[in-house]
Amino acid sequence: MTADKSPSSDAQNSEGRVFRPANDAERGQAIEVAFDYRGDVTLDLASGETVVGYIFNRNSAASPPALQIFPRDQPGSRVIPYAAVRAIAFTGEDTASGKSWETWVQKKESERKAEAEQIKAEAQARGHL
Amino acid sequence: MAVPVAQMFTVTKYVLTQKLTGVKRYPLVLMLEPLFRCNLACAGCGKIQYPDHVLDKRLTPEQCWAAAEECGAPIVSIPGGEPLIHPDMPAIVQGLVERKKYVYLCTNAILLERKLDEYQPSPYLTFSIHMDGLQEEHDLAVCRDGIYDVAVKAIKAALKRGFRVTTNTTLFDDAAPERIRKFFDAMMELGVEGMMISPGYSYEKAPDKKNFLKRQRTRELFSRILHRPKSGWRFNQSPLFLDFLMGKVDYQCTPWGNPTYNVFGWQKPCYLLQDGYVATFRELMDQTDWDSYGTGRNEKCADCMVHCGYEASAVDDTFGSLRGFGRTVVATLMPTSR
Repeated sequence: MTADKSPSSDAQNSEGRVFRPANDAERGQAIEVAFDYRGDVTLDLASGETVVGYIFNRNSAASPPALQIFPRDQPGSRVIPYAAVRAIAFTGEDTASGKSWETWVQKKESERKAEAEQIKAEAQARGHL
Repeated sequence: MAVPVAQMFTVTKYVLTQKLTGVKRYPLVLMLEPLFRCNLACAGCGKIQYPDHVLDKRLTPEQCWAAAEECGAPIVSIPGGEPLIHPDMPAIVQGLVERKKYVYLCTNAILLERKLDEYQPSPYLTFSIHMDGLQEEHDLAVCRDGIYDVAVKAIKAALKRGFRVTTNTTLFDDAAPERIRKFFDAMMELGVEGMMISPGYSYEKAPDKKNFLKRQRTRELFSRILHRPKSGWRFNQSPLFLDFLMGKVDYQCTPWGNPTYNVFGWQKPCYLLQDGYVATFRELMDQTDWDSYGTGRNEKCADCMVHCGYEASAVDDTFGSLRGFGRTVVATLMPTSR
């Protein structure tokens, strides 16, 4: 993992990175990137707690500014104030990476078939076929 | 006409009521996403890329009914994910039908034939089958061989049992017009009630000039597809929206026309963009900065000509002026004049 104070604005290149913002502006920027990220993140909170989950919402205009996260191991969502976030690690797989139509078309026929078979097998295992 | 008279009457009455009571922004179709999990993984689909624990979340029937009541739109479209995976989908649909909502259950049809017994035919229920073209194009689009044949078989089974069945088709710039016209013939031969078509949505952040060309290409594509339409083709959507796709009329987006509710809440601002979520429909309507969205207002909207933003604009045009109403009547009664 690399450690940065503030992220680039591109969520697609964030997998595997850790952000330790030094101020509110950097924290807000990091949370915005985490909101755009299609994978789980790990939040280190000021309380010492660690929360792993998917950030699905944020409101920087709220008082106080807060994010909403679906923790990976809990049924409901949690609201966490921006100020409580000490670090954000993009620990989960970026599920949107490499999923564009262009990428699919450019793959070799054998690669497409293998990928399709894998997705089919997963759906069958879940009882969805 | 592809849309039954009773449904047309309900929508007309609803829209006129909104206009006569001075409601400036009103929803037309609730986009209800009770789950994101799908049994396909179509390349380019922006709806299903989430961690497993999010894909495993489901809206309850009560949440779905409450959203429909809160929103008030006469039509409820249920996309996803694949709705037929949801174990409570029959109950969700039944509850919406009891509330006299016109339900379009959007499915890839893989599970449809097996699940038909769980549903009752109703004028309020339509299975909207995802079909992106003839066999070769569709199987490529959904990234799995054999799905076109499965869907055709399911369509026949649903029609045989008396269900309303339509198709929904997303087209991109590389579509071949002649193949799409043959596809329309094939769907009409199957006996579907009507077809719905829309251009795809790209998240690309391209410069304006390129975006303009993209919109131009979309118009050229749909002009070639819809020019001199065959008399047997029926479209289950506003004829003015088809005119818009062909470039015969221009509209600004109506992002509140198809509000979206899913496991995250009410999605700001529309079905395609995710700028945040709020807990209630009222908050969505009151707190969204609507003027920030639409062509020329937001780079994410530059290319977009998708039904969820512009079909409501077309419907509003129909009821917004005598000219719009007249054009709708002509296009409805004489579709081959296009």
